[in-house]
Amino acid sequence: MDIVVEQRAPATVVRISGSVDGLTADTLMATLQQQIDAGNTRLIADLSGVSYTSSAGLRALLATVKQARSAGGDFRLAGVLPPVHKVLEMSGFTTILKLYPDVDGAVASYPA
Amino acid sequence: MSAPAVPRKRVALVIGAGSVKCAAALGLWKVLKREGIGIDMVVGCSGGSLYAAAMALGYDAEETEAMTLSMWNRKVTERRDYGSLLSAFLPKLFKFAGHFGMVHGEPLIEALRKPFGEKTFADTILPLHITATELASGQQATLSSGRILDAVRASIAIPYIWSPWEVDGKLMLDGCLSAPLPVDVAIKEGADVILAMGFESPYPRRIRSATSYAFHVNSIYTNNLFRANYSFHNLAHHADILPIVPDFGEPVNLFDTHKFAHVIACGARATEEHLPYLRQLLGLPTDAATETSPAR
Repeated sequence: MDIVVEQRAPATVVRISGSVDGLTADTLMATLQQQIDAGNTRLIADLSGVSYTSSAGLRALLATVKQARSAGGDFRLAGVLPPVHKVLEMSGFTTILKLYPDVDGAVASYPA
Repeated sequence: MSAPAVPRKRVALVIGAGSVKCAAALGLWKVLKREGIGIDMVVGCSGGSLYAAAMALGYDAEETEAMTLSMWNRKVTERRDYGSLLSAFLPKLFKFAGHFGMVHGEPLIEALRKPFGEKTFADTILPLHITATELASGQQATLSSGRILDAVRASIAIPYIWSPWEVDGKLMLDGCLSAPLPVDVAIKEGADVILAMGFESPYPRRIRSATSYAFHVNSIYTNNLFRANYSFHNLAHHADILPIVPDFGEPVNLFDTHKFAHVIACGARATEEHLPYLRQLLGLPTDAATETSPAR
């Protein structure tokens, strides 16, 4: 899994490539936690490069949502591919997370 | 002092409710066999209980396919249970028993007798758990002992179609009513990696009769229950659940046994998508040289 962090005011975009699963969850969580600790609580995960996720990966995403919201921000998803969307839907994530077709839409969703 | 050995991950296969769609588990089974990936327990619900039981008893995928083709046909549903129907419409006169089923249960029992006969859970080569739903309390029941035939019959007691079935003195209905994909059983039994093969019920394109309306409403209930349960189990598990949800690309209905080959192929394809990660999780070689992989 590769992670690239980019500041796109007023949000922070975390571009993820590869799988979000039990083998990569710790790395992903650590990266997202660093951003929240640094005060970047308006987070966006660009998942357009992620084609596989499992329950352990989803738990990492959920932990980040809770932390970001507790800190006054949010964690939004962009560019979710169909196989991942199917798992998000089945796991109830689409009912509690905001999803956008692309990063531009997700960035625009945060008030400037 | 050497570090304690990391315990081997226990793998469970959970096959959820889904009538003919559950045959996709045979595609999964073939892929796991080919890859030399063994499982430590199998859990089945409703239609999935047939395949879970067959696997646990040591039937291979081809035998199981032939077995289900011969047993799962319209003969099991064409005989009406007129006594039960009369008691439903004239309950005082015909002494309504507290439950009913439109279809006579005997042909189903005859069909189940061929593969399962008097075999019990003690005859399995893999730990097997079959889920049903207690009629009186609505609670999920996990059946892990006794006659397999009784457990399967209880697990597939589709409401209004077949009467509930008595197991250990309790009337049981379809396991789908309490948990269409009983991942919780695998969690409770100590599984680490859970292969969860589940199916959502398709919605009819058009609702043209009271029956199809009833099926539609039932699908709404069960699909929402499926997702609600899975959401919780997904968060509650300490390790990993791999959701194997085949995409059939077309509706697969209750007696579409002519679609078996397609259903099995879709099950295999859905499993293949998880193989790279599954092999990594289990510490197996991730290259294509799979024939030498040790069977677990």
